[in-house]
Amino acid sequence: MLATDLNRTSDDMMDGSVTIQLPVAEQARLNRERADTYHRYHIDAAETENRQKFPRRFNVKVGKIGLAKLLFTEFFKYFGHWDVVFSRPCTYGVFSGPVGGFSPRPDLCVGCLRCEVQHPEFVKVTHNPDLAAIGDSYLTSKHISTIDEEARKGTVPVRGQGYRGRFGGPGFDQMFTDMSEIVRPSRDGIHGRELIGTSVDLGSKPMSLKFDSNGGLLDAPKMMSIQVPFIYAPPPDSVSTGIIPEILAEAAGTVDTLVFLPENTVTNQGLASPNVVPMIAPGQIGNIESHGNGTRMVEMTSWNLDAWNQVKEHPLLVSVQLPLEGDWMSTMMEMVDNDVSIIHLISDHHGEADDGRFIMDLYQEAHFSLIEKGCRDEVTLIGTGGIAGADHLPKSIITGMDAVGLDHPLLIAMQARLLGDTKTRGAAGVKLPSKFDQEWAVQRILNLSCSWRDQLLEILGAMGVREVRRLRGEIGRAMWCGHLEAEAFGDIEGFPGGEH
Amino acid sequence: MAKEWPKPSPKLLEKTHHLMHDGFHQRAFPDTAYDLPEALGDARWTDELIASAWYMAETGECPDHLNYKTGRSGGGFDKLAFKELPTDQQLAADAEVDITLELNRRGDDRHKRTIDIPWYGGGMSYGSVSVNVMMSRALNAKKWNTLMSTGEGGYPPQLYECSDHVITQVATGYFGVEEKSIQAAPIIEFKYAQGAKPGLGGHLLATKAGEEVAKMRGSVPFVSLFSPFPFHSTYSVEDHMKHLDWIKTVNPTAMMSVKVSTPHDVDMVAVGSYYAGAHIVHLDGGFGGTGAAPEIAKKNIAMPIELAIPKVHKFMQTEGIRDNVTIIASGGVRTADDIAKAIALGADGCVLGTSDLVAMGCTRCSNCEGGPSGRGCPWGLTTTDTELQEWVQQAWGADRLDKYYTALASRLREILRELGLSNIGELRGRTDLLRYIAGGE
Repeated sequence: MLATDLNRTSDDMMDGSVTIQLPVAEQARLNRERADTYHRYHIDAAETENRQKFPRRFNVKVGKIGLAKLLFTEFFKYFGHWDVVFSRPCTYGVFSGPVGGFSPRPDLCVGCLRCEVQHPEFVKVTHNPDLAAIGDSYLTSKHISTIDEEARKGTVPVRGQGYRGRFGGPGFDQMFTDMSEIVRPSRDGIHGRELIGTSVDLGSKPMSLKFDSNGGLLDAPKMMSIQVPFIYAPPPDSVSTGIIPEILAEAAGTVDTLVFLPENTVTNQGLASPNVVPMIAPGQIGNIESHGNGTRMVEMTSWNLDAWNQVKEHPLLVSVQLPLEGDWMSTMMEMVDNDVSIIHLISDHHGEADDGRFIMDLYQEAHFSLIEKGCRDEVTLIGTGGIAGADHLPKSIITGMDAVGLDHPLLIAMQARLLGDTKTRGAAGVKLPSKFDQEWAVQRILNLSCSWRDQLLEILGAMGVREVRRLRGEIGRAMWCGHLEAEAFGDIEGFPGGEH
Repeated sequence: MAKEWPKPSPKLLEKTHHLMHDGFHQRAFPDTAYDLPEALGDARWTDELIASAWYMAETGECPDHLNYKTGRSGGGFDKLAFKELPTDQQLAADAEVDITLELNRRGDDRHKRTIDIPWYGGGMSYGSVSVNVMMSRALNAKKWNTLMSTGEGGYPPQLYECSDHVITQVATGYFGVEEKSIQAAPIIEFKYAQGAKPGLGGHLLATKAGEEVAKMRGSVPFVSLFSPFPFHSTYSVEDHMKHLDWIKTVNPTAMMSVKVSTPHDVDMVAVGSYYAGAHIVHLDGGFGGTGAAPEIAKKNIAMPIELAIPKVHKFMQTEGIRDNVTIIASGGVRTADDIAKAIALGADGCVLGTSDLVAMGCTRCSNCEGGPSGRGCPWGLTTTDTELQEWVQQAWGADRLDKYYTALASRLREILRELGLSNIGELRGRTDLLRYIAGGE
């Protein structure tokens, strides 16, 4: 900058209408200060071992007589060649205990099957039925295994070989996300050179800024940012008080996201903080005044116009829950007409509305209805329910959500077992590990959050999208298995709905 | 630093080879006392597909007792079947069927190459696999007058004896790229993306980047190597063309292959690649193999190859350039039936990767990246561990692949005869010869 520029104001250097009256030198100093204090957002993950044994993947059975025969034979056949005598068909240590294969260690088995292929006469490796039995039809044992690994390590699960599952599938599996072949520096973000933003704004984004004659901002927008596009949804009723809310509140504060908790829990356990959102019934909405300690937002647990009118102008942000039940769309439009700026769509834990429709369709309907109405940026949509894996996060955002609520996966991360009705919201029983403490549990949630954020970065990087806010509603970057199949196979005899 | 294991003694080699080879036999043949391992296989590569590959690799024939044609993924190739002609209209069993594939269709002055079978071996780098595995594939490619690709990890000196059958790959990390290996290759493959991790680049974990691997790649031993995505010099078709021109100055006769993934606009990418000068557009679908990839990428990013092929084929036809370029499909092509289906959907040929490894004993346990042991594949395939890599010997591997390819070629010819076709080229784009298996047939 030239010395003669030092007395100019920053608006002199712009041709727009923004009038920030700061001398350029002062502005430059502030910019430098900001740069000096800038720290790239990240979540501190740390390997955190399981507190209770997770079901192993495989069982290994070894026939003792067969093994004894083999050892006896090999001892004489390879006498003196001890490396051969003591060699074992496993590089993972399954047969490396004090008595070798006589007491195998199946916890170490990865299912390479070398032992069984080499010694079919006395070794058998089988899938562990105890692992298959965990979870339900939606949050499957595979999801739970993956979440357990993510919560333990805090990293992106990486493996060899290709995809092993179904071609497409129901629910989130029907979508493939796009990638960009040559463009973008954004991939560098994952390796640390350039930022891919994962922060999202909650609240009503003003369509224009208004300033007074002195350049001061009029009608400051009522909104806030969180660093990740996911929030922590309230835990099931059976653990909505006690240690679990405290863990979620601490983790939310560390991650800089929000946790939604029943108002009583927040009050009774003294959890009020900028990262805790008390959930208040419409009849008690007057309690909004009692939540201090930096509280930024409250949630009204159902739509009620009278209650809303009481808090509409309140300085705190107010979100309103909207279960995906009945004629939810009309209710949503009524809410929008009454200037509700944060709508929290709620489905059951399988991601279904009361009519059985899946959230991906409903999220799109909500998103496009607001676009049709011309107010999409004035409303924040949060979707909670049906998130069982890291890929569900970007897919929910692509279908129109600004942010997504995590529920049961948080409990799985804490090695909780879900009991009873795991589909109805809030109904599941929760059995926590016997050795359980807050520090351990918070770190497990941080790890899961870190892993899922990093996996979100992978998806964003592949797509060439540099901030998650731009992913919202990017249906054009989604590929639907059904559509692609119709395009590819439509002219093939027998294809349902095809030309033949 | 990772532990260097001692090379196995001759006696240990003898024992391990005997047990492994006998094991593959025991599990693949119907006359033995043992069932298929209960934990073997998955929806895409079923236990029967894996065992049938072992059977083919030992006998050179397709098994009667196993389903060697399709998996159970419930879509794509697994939902397609051929409309065989009535027996009396099929070609005679001894009728000549031409399955050769001409790769250079641009009519330019570059290398002309016809391979004897409509597939070749996909890129697997030195580091992700051992020299023994690379050489097994290269020797087999030489025998079959086809090709295999180096992947991005350099060109081990042993490969030069097969150099006319080795594609040199140039990828985003430029690992091991040398003038000499570019000059030796009949085809240079630019890898823009890989189906299993599209848009994410490559990653060789530290435990697999040992002394020799690091030397080949010009890196530090036992340090993780990232091959970042994308090419940072390429932001347009014109930039891509500069890449190809750069290769041309080093090797004026080499054909150019461009390996891309399957995004939404894969058709446009393919056309752009052609106009930049590619002879081969290599489409790598989302379900392809890898030595290491984020699990989230494998299923979710980019489309399966079955859905990309017709899109590209039809668009290139519309553009009037289809006959000037060779489309090669990979990423989930497992069997001879898959190869034929890919061609019927519009490809000219295919690339096999995982199938080669399965033929040599892979059980798809997914520990290629190192696994909990950090040593890599316990079968000696995707590892450079001093001991483990000896489980696969070059002659044995090449022989397995030779027999496996014999069975694939035989089955491919059988399919063509059943369709009344005498040339593989006649199958291209013939979706009218396919039928979709609705429901659970």
